[in-house]
Amino acid sequence: MKKVSVVFFALAIFFVGFVFAEEVFTLEQPAFITSAGQSPGALQMTVVCKMVKLDYTFEKLMTADDFDPQAYNCAIFVVGASGKGLGAAGIDIDEETARVVALAQKAKDNGLPIVLTHLEGAARRGASSDLLFNELSPFADALFIKEESDAADQMFSNIAEEKEIPIFFFEKTADLKNVISEVFGL
Amino acid sequence: MNKKKLIVVLIFIFVLIVSCFSKEFYPDIRPGDGVTDFKWLSDYFPGIKETNVDTPVYIMSGEATGATFLLMGGTHPGELAGTVAAISFIENAVVKTGKVIVIPYSNLSAASIPDLTGKVSHFLPVQTKSGKRYLVFGDRRTDINDEGIEDPEVFVHPSDETEYKGDESRNLNRNYPGEENGTLTSKLAFAIINLINEENVDFNLDMHESRTPEEYEKSNSDYNLSYSLVCNPKALEMGILAMLNLELETGINVKLEESAKNSRGLSHLEIGNYTNSLSFLSETPNPAQDPSKNNPDPMYDSKYPLKHRIGIQLEIVQMLIDSYNMLFEEKLEVEKIPTYSDLMKYGFEAYLN
Repeated sequence: MKKVSVVFFALAIFFVGFVFAEEVFTLEQPAFITSAGQSPGALQMTVVCKMVKLDYTFEKLMTADDFDPQAYNCAIFVVGASGKGLGAAGIDIDEETARVVALAQKAKDNGLPIVLTHLEGAARRGASSDLLFNELSPFADALFIKEESDAADQMFSNIAEEKEIPIFFFEKTADLKNVISEVFGL
Repeated sequence: MNKKKLIVVLIFIFVLIVSCFSKEFYPDIRPGDGVTDFKWLSDYFPGIKETNVDTPVYIMSGEATGATFLLMGGTHPGELAGTVAAISFIENAVVKTGKVIVIPYSNLSAASIPDLTGKVSHFLPVQTKSGKRYLVFGDRRTDINDEGIEDPEVFVHPSDETEYKGDESRNLNRNYPGEENGTLTSKLAFAIINLINEENVDFNLDMHESRTPEEYEKSNSDYNLSYSLVCNPKALEMGILAMLNLELETGINVKLEESAKNSRGLSHLEIGNYTNSLSFLSETPNPAQDPSKNNPDPMYDSKYPLKHRIGIQLEIVQMLIDSYNMLFEEKLEVEKIPTYSDLMKYGFEAYLN
C-alpha cells in the first residue's frame, strides 16, 4: 500500500509539472534570415548573429520560388521599411510585401518556425513598416522586439498577446545576442 | 606699443580692409594644437582657384602614419551642427596616429550668403572662452552670383539617371562626383573627389542636418532622416558596428540607412563609388529646417539644442574611428574629441577657441 502511494504521489507530481511547466520557445540552427522592407536592420541582425556564432544564411531579396526550406530549421524576418533600401533594390513596398508573404507562406507550409524581428526602434516605425509586420504576423511563432519599438503603442505586445506567441524584448540592439543565445541554446 | 605689436596690428588692419573690399568670404576658425598644415581645396584642383567655392582645408597629422579620415561640414551651411562640429574638431582634437583632413565649410560660397528662407540671421553671436564670436548660418546652395549662370528648369544629374529641381544644380550634395569642366558647383564636387584620391582617404563623413522627427511625423510617411547615418553599400558593416557601439557606449540611437542607388549625386553614394574611400553621411535634427517653424532657434532650442546635435555628430565621428580600427590594420588614433556628455555639461561654446 505504501509503495502504491509513493508511485501515485510521484505520478501526480509529474502530471502537475507537465501541465503547468512553462513552455520554453527554442529554435534550431541553421537559420534563414531575410529583410522585410530592405532597411539595414537585417544586416544589423547578421552582425549580432556573427557575435554569437550562429549558423545562418542571409538573403535580403530571397523569393519563395528560390527558397529551399529543407536547408534550414527556422526563418527570421527582420522588419523595417526603408525608402532608400527599397529604392536601392529597385522594388516598391507592394512588391516587397508580396515577396515576404509568399516566402513566409512557403516556410510555414514546410513546417519551419518563423520569427519576426523589429530591432531598429521607434525611428523605424511607420506606415510601411507596420504594414509589413501586420501582413507577416499571422505566420509568426515568436517575436524578437527592441523595447523602444514597442514603447509608444505596444503594437508588438498586443500582437503577441492576441496570437498567444512568445515575445522576447531587448533594450539595446547588441542585447539581441542574449535573446539569440537563449532561444538557440548557444 | 612696441614695434612687433605695431606690425601685427597693421597687418590685422590691412587684412580687415582687404576683406571689406573683397568679395571673398573668410570664416572665423581658430585652429587648435592638433592642426599641422593648412591648404586650400584648389591645391587639389586648380580649376576652382580664385573662385568663391575654394575653401580652407585643415590637415591634422599624427606622429605615426596610419589611416586617413576626411571630415566634412558645411555642405549645407545652414545645417549648423555639421559646421560647428567640424570647427570644434579643428579647435580641440589632436591626432596621434594617422591623419584627419577637415573641411569645415565644404560649400563656402553657400556659407557666404544668408539662408534664403530668411528665418535665421546669417551670423549668430556666441560667447566663447575667448569672448564673442559668430557662427555662420548660410544657405543650402552655391550663391547664384558665384555660379555665374541661371538655374535650369530641371537639373539632370550628368549620369542622366536622376532629375532634381533646377536650383539643386547649385547643391553640392547633388553634384558628386563632379566634372572637371562642369558648373562651378560641379567643379567643387570634382575638387573634393580629387582630394580624396590624392590623399588616399580611407573613410569620410559628410555631416548634415535634417528636419526634426515631429516635422516628419506631420507628413505621415516613413521618410524620416533625423538621427541617421547613411552608408555607402560598401561601408555598411562599418556603419553597423559604429551604430552598435554608439548605442552601447552612449545610449544614443541612430538609424542606419543605405545609399539609394537611384538618387545620384549624393556624397555617400558617389564618393564611395568613385573613390576607394568608405563613405558616410550623418543627420541630426535642426529645428531651423522645419518648414512649419517661423522663428526657429538653431542654437538653443529646448528639445534639440546645438550642443546635443554637435555631441551626436562628434560621437558618430569617434565611433566611426573605433569601428575602422576594429576592421582594418591601419589605425587612426585621435584624442581630445569633445564627447557628448562634455558638450551637454559645458555647452558647445566651451569648445570654441
